[in-house]
Amino acid sequence: MNFFINNSAFKDLIFCIKNYFAWSFLAYFDLKLKYRRTFLGPWWVVLGVAISSSAMCFLWSVIFGMDWKTYLTYLFSGFVIWLWISELVSEASQIFVSYSSKFIKAYPTPPLFYVFRKCFLSLLLFLHHIPLIIVLVLFINHKIELNVLYSLPLGIFLVFLNSIFFTANIGMLSARFRDLAPLISSLIPPLFLLTPVLWKPEMLGNYQSYVYLNPFTYFVGIVRNDLIGLHFDIFIWVGAILITLIQLIAFSILYSRKSKRIIFWI
Amino acid sequence: MKSEIILKNVYLDFPLYDAQVVSLRNKITSIGNKYFSKIKKNTSGIKVIEGLKDFSYNFQYGDKVGIIGSNGSGKTTLLKLLAGIYSPTSGCIEKKGELSCMLDLGFGFEHDATGYENILLSNITRGLAKKEIDKILPEIVEFCGLGEFLNMPFRTYSSGMQARLAFASVIATTPDILLIDEFFSTGDREFSQKSRSKILELMNKSSILIFASHSMDLIEDICNKAILIKNGEIAFAGNPKETISFYKKG
Repeated sequence: MNFFINNSAFKDLIFCIKNYFAWSFLAYFDLKLKYRRTFLGPWWVVLGVAISSSAMCFLWSVIFGMDWKTYLTYLFSGFVIWLWISELVSEASQIFVSYSSKFIKAYPTPPLFYVFRKCFLSLLLFLHHIPLIIVLVLFINHKIELNVLYSLPLGIFLVFLNSIFFTANIGMLSARFRDLAPLISSLIPPLFLLTPVLWKPEMLGNYQSYVYLNPFTYFVGIVRNDLIGLHFDIFIWVGAILITLIQLIAFSILYSRKSKRIIFWI
Repeated sequence: MKSEIILKNVYLDFPLYDAQVVSLRNKITSIGNKYFSKIKKNTSGIKVIEGLKDFSYNFQYGDKVGIIGSNGSGKTTLLKLLAGIYSPTSGCIEKKGELSCMLDLGFGFEHDATGYENILLSNITRGLAKKEIDKILPEIVEFCGLGEFLNMPFRTYSSGMQARLAFASVIATTPDILLIDEFFSTGDREFSQKSRSKILELMNKSSILIFASHSMDLIEDICNKAILIKNGEIAFAGNPKETISFYKKG
């Protein structure tokens, strides 16, 4: 128990949980300010994604020889989750370096607070896509599984939790080692092709098991699969929870040792 | 519980990872421009600038301490260390009491938000609850005297008006320990008089005041103790008059 009390990672984590109002309000406000003078606001993102995934659906359903209707829900839901996760990954390296450096240098709030603020902003943006996915699923599948009621919030929560740990870890490492940021951003496009968003794991045939080497598979899977009525895959959930635990351990070691050094790196 | 801060043999080194790191380059120019002797290497071979060296001092209840010293001597570094923004490389700090720092006016402000929203934003960013902000809001609104402008975006304000709002939104809370970097005379003549008297009131209410300034008159006026910092070390500590005369002698 002492380990948890004296560990500054857990101390700051508890601080952030207690101050949930502050970061959620600030994130909400960031979103509001970002789209202040637009008419559609954050719904522009939904519209943009809807347009691009319709175009992709038109092309890829022909190439794969699939029914466009089932392909559309699969592609759209996978694509919005991918956008959420990939944005988190690519911006994680900037969290302390640019996004929150002026705050960290001016006030003694724990750096983790700004991680929560940023990750919650991404979550809010992502949530705008959910209604459209549900409408699409209802329109095309004519039904939605009841277990979505708990699996969807749980899946989203797991991704959110991971985004916190990931952003904190990568944020710290890339503040210290500046080569990490360009490296990560160069990895994102190939990862898109390697993640089952455009294609289904079954299409890989004998190579299907390789898909589980990619951590993104789990996170796209836990949010998407139940929502669009794919068969339940316990393996994906176990994998996601394991990755969360690994990230938590990495976070508790890295953050407790180095969070006080962040200010000297930015 | 009486508030106090105890510093014991505190050292603070700024590591220099690479000249390419812009923020650290700024730090060199601001801290050690003249004092290249401050740049050393630590045990792991990374160049460091010594921000504070062997700093020991007890800030007791009722102390109003003025910090003086030339540019780059370590005044702001000391305040940021006391605020908890920096943590010491070695040595220890003990703090009791609620602390508030006025080191950066306009903290948490967003240019596209209105005046009202900015009051809310900056106070929430500084950790206040919504209820507390609602309580102090009327005072802030009255003090800044911006009236109808509070409903307009911050970016439309003149720099004087921006400074007024920034100043007004931080002074409505009274902390035990108050850290202030430089006295900001903001806005027009009327407002700078108003802000001066307000800040004097705030300084008197706080149980510990630590105040860095170049204005010797102000230090002599407000403070009952003073510290002269030179190259990150205490060169002299005593009552304000002695310290200032020591400083003027060079």
